Amino acid sequence: MDKTLRRWAPLFVLPALICFVIAFLVPMIMGFVLSFFKFSTVTDGVFVGWSNYKRIFIDMDFIKALWMNVRFTVVTVIMINILAFFLALLVTRGVKGTNIYRTIFFMPNLIGGIVLGWIWLLIINGILLPKNATIITDPKYGFWGLVALANWQNIGYMMVIYIAGIQTINKDLLEAAEIDGANSWIRLKSVILPSIMPAITICSFLTLTSGFKLFDQNLALTAGNPARQTEMLALNIYNTFYTRSNFEGVGQAKAVLFTILVAAIALSQLALTRQKEVEV
Amino acid sequence: MMKKSIVLTLVLIFLSTTLIFSAGTKEDAAKEVYFLNFKPEIASVYEDKVAPAFEAETGIKLKVVTAASGTYAATLKSELAKSNPPTIFQTNGPVGLANSLNYVSDLRNTEFYKILSDKSMALTDGDRVLSIPYAVEGYGIIYNDAVMRAYFALPNKAVALKSPEEINTFAKLKAVVEDMTRNKDRLGIQGVFASTSMAPGNDWRWQTHLVNVPIAYEFRDKGIATGIETDDFDFKYANEMKQIWDLYLDNSTTARGLLGSKSVDDAMAEFALGQAAMVQNGNWGAAQILGVQGNKVADSDIKFMPIYIGVAGEEFDGLNVGTENYFCINSQVSSEKQKLSDQFLTWLFSSETGKAIVKNDLMFITPFNTFKDHELPSDPLAREVIRWMNKSGVTSMPWAFSVIPSGEWKNNFGADLDQYINGRMSWSDVAKRAVASWKVEYDLAH
Amino acid sequence: MSNLQRKNTRDRLISIALALLSLLFIAPILIVLMNSFKSKLFISSEPFRFPNTETFTGRANYIEGAKKINFFKAFGYSLFITTFSVLAVVFTTSMLGWYLTRVKSRFTQITYYLLVFSMIVPFQMVMFTMSKIANMLHLDNPLGVIVLYVGFGAGLGTFMFSGFIKTIPLSLEEAALIDGASPPQTFFLVVLPMLKPTAITIAILNAMWIWNDYLLPYLTIGTEYKTIPVAIQYLRGGYGAVDMGAMMAMLVLAMVPIIVFYIFTQRYIIEGVVAGAVKG
Repeated sequence: MDKTLRRWAPLFVLPALICFVIAFLVPMIMGFVLSFFKFSTVTDGVFVGWSNYKRIFIDMDFIKALWMNVRFTVVTVIMINILAFFLALLVTRGVKGTNIYRTIFFMPNLIGGIVLGWIWLLIINGILLPKNATIITDPKYGFWGLVALANWQNIGYMMVIYIAGIQTINKDLLEAAEIDGANSWIRLKSVILPSIMPAITICSFLTLTSGFKLFDQNLALTAGNPARQTEMLALNIYNTFYTRSNFEGVGQAKAVLFTILVAAIALSQLALTRQKEVEV
Repeated sequence: MMKKSIVLTLVLIFLSTTLIFSAGTKEDAAKEVYFLNFKPEIASVYEDKVAPAFEAETGIKLKVVTAASGTYAATLKSELAKSNPPTIFQTNGPVGLANSLNYVSDLRNTEFYKILSDKSMALTDGDRVLSIPYAVEGYGIIYNDAVMRAYFALPNKAVALKSPEEINTFAKLKAVVEDMTRNKDRLGIQGVFASTSMAPGNDWRWQTHLVNVPIAYEFRDKGIATGIETDDFDFKYANEMKQIWDLYLDNSTTARGLLGSKSVDDAMAEFALGQAAMVQNGNWGAAQILGVQGNKVADSDIKFMPIYIGVAGEEFDGLNVGTENYFCINSQVSSEKQKLSDQFLTWLFSSETGKAIVKNDLMFITPFNTFKDHELPSDPLAREVIRWMNKSGVTSMPWAFSVIPSGEWKNNFGADLDQYINGRMSWSDVAKRAVASWKVEYDLAH
Repeated sequence: MSNLQRKNTRDRLISIALALLSLLFIAPILIVLMNSFKSKLFISSEPFRFPNTETFTGRANYIEGAKKINFFKAFGYSLFITTFSVLAVVFTTSMLGWYLTRVKSRFTQITYYLLVFSMIVPFQMVMFTMSKIANMLHLDNPLGVIVLYVGFGAGLGTFMFSGFIKTIPLSLEEAALIDGASPPQTFFLVVLPMLKPTAITIAILNAMWIWNDYLLPYLTIGTEYKTIPVAIQYLRGGYGAVDMGAMMAMLVLAMVPIIVFYIFTQRYIIEGVVAGAVKG
């Protein structure tokens, strides 16, 4: 079969591959190479070695944004997963109207990041009005505003995955545990959690990577204000490219570091949780 | 059966849209001038009045694209790199020009250059004329004379002055403003000054216009001519700026914490609706006052006074007058397109139709010899600017901010001002950081 | 209390909890809807107040907003780009996925790993270079953007299709080939029908991403062709001032298509989410 297929390779491979090369591969390689150049269009670069990378550590805004990313991701991964799991438990009780609840909880996930940002801007500014403040009066407000938004957007999505995971739990095992006298807490720890480890892996992966790469919501909700203190990495890189003059090379260098960070986090998280899955 | 018709419909939609899009791209090559507009507040005038009139009279299409607030430099850079770039774009002065040097054509032989009255106003490089200013603007503190008259008529007012014209120093301004705040209920206002708008993209009135006053004084003391770039900035008059800044903040319609959500539009509306008696802005703001639904301020009551900050001899200084609006023609487009662009600009500022739109809708005070006095804008603020420019015993303050090393400096300064408002940074830190940032940005650009 | 009574009370408590949570979840959307009928001067100052005779403006905000950002044109562009990009991704990546799984060669191995790698790379790494290349190749129009989306969607699509195809026994395809069918016939008549569930998953995941995407269309076609997210963010014009009335109305209009689509395809969407997670 191999041989017959190979003759048709162009038809099957080229469409997707050509698009992939144009839209991703070539830009990616170019971007990596250009991170060592000072340039303003892709053809007028001047080689500058490591100076773009050094600049990142002189200006420190990248590091500050990284810190914001770390805090944000840690908080949201924990909150979203715990709340989503809790919600999944509630929704799988077989109470009347479960489907409607599932529909409602999932809905925010369909709404785009920009629209979400504006919705929450209205709500948070409204809540802060009596305090004579707005979301950009204090970076704390922007941080927790983003956290609230991320929760609202993602809890439904993760809940659906947890529900699927819960539904695979061996009912007999649960009943046996109940008969044996195990209370809810022990049932949770010894039966439920291990069985849904794959769901936990996937949900952690999704919340971790999407949290770390957050852009649209950041732009619409605070645009990094006040004074860049709610600026996350993706927005920082975007601003470096498009709002500062002559910093394209630095922007590209930041993007390279960003990619390495995301890849490292994603791969290590997968490795860690896969290990846990196997242990179970 | 249904599947086949779905597929067929999709294919038809796909093919027809492909045709539409490819037809669109062919049109671009025809007679067209692509103008990248900087002023969002008059975008609709360009699109709805200027473009149709120009096409009607010359058959040339005018494509107007307006950059969203605060994004002009970025939009320009990205559009210039495309295969169908703007043929006319703006620059704000020597600093902005330096970023577009590869794209500016020599205008010395154009019709447009011929109509400039004072040739020294153009931005040049040796013999080459790179950019031509098209609007002279002035800013200061706009005040509502009706409210001021009501104040000065109060029986128990705390100052000895009798009219706003007598205010010519910071000390007098502060005394009047603070007394007005004490009497604000009686005067029917919510605050003396309109909101010091700090919403993102709306802080240009402070990080550029207000800071110009101390910068201009410092450079005057040092003998640095306007338009000369320098790294010799010490923020000598930082305390004076703090005085006026605190005056704005403490006598405002809005509490400090809420200023981050106020826009320039909000502030101008507060003035127009009589909620505030004063607002710092320029003559371009006339449209914003006159256009507010429910505008309560009579044309004859809209007046200007200079921004006093407490520098010795300021009673001889007038409004801040200058230009930040220069047009350039793209050198990278065909000479045919460059000629069409020249034709458009000349048409706008010398034809009867063009001049009428400039006077009544765009409201520019122009530096061209094609405008007779009665053809200059007659809105209250434009007339006030011209009055102050011609006032004896008073000299206009120049726009020294044209040599602020970069947009980044302004953005950082604006962010620090916001921190100060919310009590998260001391003024001495704001000043120190401004000085340090100026040096950094200057070095980056040179 | 008997076990049954205890169960009933617990169920009732759960019902109440779920009902309250649903209300909380749907509240932001309802608040925006409510504000879209208020005059713009009263939105920021009292966002949680119901419209009364003084603040009610009927359809005014909708008309004003739709005019300002040309909403219906934006809807058209979003619809066109999403529909055809999704179709293109499904077809091209299924073909590529089939080829990469059935043909074992150095080339297919390397291509596969590059595609998987692309799923981790954040958009910021390629955004600048890609938009320049798109412009150079005249892809900066709604048609060209489809090529870009195929390029970006290639990673996930090929990965998921490959994953599923691996589980299909070769026997069916070999039988078809022996019977004289050409590879394209084999693929379209034998394999593709079996891929339907995965295809639906990919279609939905990509539709959700592309419909709500902001940065890619903003950077490549944003000045001339605005999709819905780009148009919404563009409302923030005029020296930073936002017409809150128009904004609220446009947010509602932006959410309507998705919610309608969701109500009709709910089952598939939720299945798709679960399938996507499991494969991941």
